Amino acid sequence: MISVRATFAKRRRAKYISHLDLMRCMQRAFRRAGVPVWFTEGFNPHAYLMFPLALSLGYESDCECMDFRIDGQMSMQTAMRRLNAVLPPDLQIVKVAEPVRKHTDIAFADYSICLDCAEGTSAHGLRAAWDAYIAQDTIPIVKKTKRGTATIDLKAQAQILMTQTLDDGLWLKLRMPAGTSVNVNPGLLIDSFRSALEQNHPGVQCGMMRASRLAILCADGSEFV
Amino acid sequence: MLFEKIEPLLLNVQKPARYIGGEPGSIMKDKRDVKVRFAFCFPDRYDVGMSHLGMKILYSAINHRPEYWCERVFAPDVDFESAMRAHGIPLYALESLEPIKDFDFIGFTLQYELCYTNILNMLDLAGVPLMQKDRGENIAPIVCAGGSCACNPEPIADFFDLFFIGEGEELDLEVMDLYEKMRAEGATRSEFLRAAAGIEGVYVPSLYDVTYHEDGTIAAFTPKGDAPKTVRKRIIADFDKADVPEEFVVPFAEIVHDRAVTEVLRGCIRGCRFCQAGFLYRPFREKSPEVICKQSKTLCDRTGYEELSLCSLSTSDHSQIEAMLDGLLTFTEQEHINLSLPSLRVDNFSTGLMNRIRKVRNSGLTFAPEAGTQRLRDVINKNVTEEDLMRTCKIAFAGGQATVKLYFMMGLPTETDEDITAIVDLAQRVVDMWFSMDERPKGKSVQISVSVATFVPKPFTPFQFHPQDTVAMIAHKQHLLEEAAKGHKRIRVSWHAPETSILEAVLARGDRRLGKVILDAWKKGCLFDAWSEHFRFDLWQEAMTENHLTMEFYANRPRSYDEILPWDHLDYYVDKAFFIKENEKAIAASTTPHCRMQCTACGVSRVMGKPCFPKKEENV
Repeated sequence: MISVRATFAKRRRAKYISHLDLMRCMQRAFRRAGVPVWFTEGFNPHAYLMFPLALSLGYESDCECMDFRIDGQMSMQTAMRRLNAVLPPDLQIVKVAEPVRKHTDIAFADYSICLDCAEGTSAHGLRAAWDAYIAQDTIPIVKKTKRGTATIDLKAQAQILMTQTLDDGLWLKLRMPAGTSVNVNPGLLIDSFRSALEQNHPGVQCGMMRASRLAILCADGSEFV
Repeated sequence: MLFEKIEPLLLNVQKPARYIGGEPGSIMKDKRDVKVRFAFCFPDRYDVGMSHLGMKILYSAINHRPEYWCERVFAPDVDFESAMRAHGIPLYALESLEPIKDFDFIGFTLQYELCYTNILNMLDLAGVPLMQKDRGENIAPIVCAGGSCACNPEPIADFFDLFFIGEGEELDLEVMDLYEKMRAEGATRSEFLRAAAGIEGVYVPSLYDVTYHEDGTIAAFTPKGDAPKTVRKRIIADFDKADVPEEFVVPFAEIVHDRAVTEVLRGCIRGCRFCQAGFLYRPFREKSPEVICKQSKTLCDRTGYEELSLCSLSTSDHSQIEAMLDGLLTFTEQEHINLSLPSLRVDNFSTGLMNRIRKVRNSGLTFAPEAGTQRLRDVINKNVTEEDLMRTCKIAFAGGQATVKLYFMMGLPTETDEDITAIVDLAQRVVDMWFSMDERPKGKSVQISVSVATFVPKPFTPFQFHPQDTVAMIAHKQHLLEEAAKGHKRIRVSWHAPETSILEAVLARGDRRLGKVILDAWKKGCLFDAWSEHFRFDLWQEAMTENHLTMEFYANRPRSYDEILPWDHLDYYVDKAFFIKENEKAIAASTTPHCRMQCTACGVSRVMGKPCFPKKEENV
């Protein structure tokens, strides 16, 4: 039995697949591909697949991660080729390797966020509003958790890696806490920015957000995969 | 391609995966290689439509031809529809993401009457004129429909260029072939429709005039030109050898029936007098166990589904069911596939097979006696007895189950108050049996769910002549049932408000004058009428009144045998004389044996030119 860590891309049409739906989709892909994946034992045997970090609906990525085990005579390259043949073109495995790091090593994830200007808003206006917003000492928001609500300071959590003004919007690169213990979705920051615009910058509005995950990182800044 | 326009809207709507396609198994083609494009429209939401086997069969059949491209279209939910309208996005197909108004065919499947307003809404959203007469002489798009409700298409006749009557696997392609040929010759819409009417199974409603008597019944139904006087349905040449989909579009989002499905037989031998499907899909045909197993295995391999179910009317009537189940269990057990079986009459299987079936996870027993007394069960020719019910429940209880769902109807012809209260008595006898059994499951308590639907008389059944019960009659019977069930702790009785069934009855047996009513109801905001949260009976009543029509005329009026019924010009192989004879037997509470025991001379074998069952077959 060999353990495999697959890196896969989720783009265009596939970015609207929710995490739960993605897991089901992969289960079925293994059956279609005829890859001898290791099955869990018990009442309802199913292919053992692990996704260490979920991706939000609507986000694109080339660095998503899925672990599985091959229980039979098949190389991981063959498994990848066979899976890609039965997966849709917007959902493809790009790399297979033996797992090195533990899931709990995941500490951060990098994101690229493009924010369009809404009609009537200039890119410079949006940029100025963003700069003012992110310059605050604290950005407290209330987040729903399993145990009720918690207040978190987004300012302390988010690292802004890059801010660039585009012709019709704003392009950000962010590093956010990620992993099994703490996970902060960059969408929270953008939602909070949108509310700040409504309150403090009448006339400035952002439109559609295009988001993608760029990397999954460990605490020391190295790539998880 | 509308991808760039659709994308900004998707994250603001529920379950966006329904609107973007790209699923495994969806067929992509280069449109430059494609000669005829078919938009297969299911007039309900994605999660309902994607569960429909008929769509999968026709999608596969059309796409099998390299030069034809069939794509899927569903009704957007109200949130996405309003976003589409606000941003000027026309109804598009899920494969190419291109507007369907530019397709050659826009084809709807008609699975239930309460989807008619959705059809209008989808045509409107597509930007296609709703009325057939307003579509002009340009040959495309041809707006067509098929499916079970096409057996009485008159209420929606004004909106369609043509209907496919009967089975579509071969018929649809013949019509597409004719279209391709005539378009190349520069034919107009009406020239094409006149020619298409010559294909057996094609009904072109604009080629017929209807006149009415003063009392509202039909005076005459007259073909124009050389349109056929009656349109006979199509059936496929050889059911056992017919191509079936080797793969399905496997959705990302969860749908109602998310599993591999194999059709094991078509038609039904039973002849239950209320059941439209039992007459529409005759003759009875079955696939051999080898074909069923091979098709099921291929489908599971190609879709990756972890669950397989069987589709047909009465599955237990397959002549080789034991061999079929044995074959299916052999590969499903090996491949961790969950075989989900419909309620089967399992009492005469071998012990070995019984034990294997028991291992199949089962979501509880359902049984449909349909009526509370043997007299009424004889009236409807539901040939099950109380002994059958008790025996089946006993097996289920002994096998560890404690819940039973029983289905009944109210408002059946000749029904009395005693027939209603007898429903509860029958359920109580199941409860009593539970308590009399020593081998009943320990630590469980028995629960009988009794679900009672309002009977809707349908075309092409012996009960097509009968009035439906009025709202007052239904309310009385529901009250009676409620009273009867009081104090029966193990029995839970449920029913629906009757208004939905009344509208269903109106539309099922309606005539062409209802076209305007459907249009007006849609204009007033009626949509998703099958969904109780959207259903607006008051708006339908307004639309009826404004068009000087009544629900009572269609729902609650008995039809005489010599009345011209709106669907009399369609021929589903079963004679009207047979329905009359069966109705007379029903009123006399006299049963008719099933087709394997004795041919009832319904008309099917005469049209086929051969008996439905080989003469020497052992009676089953």
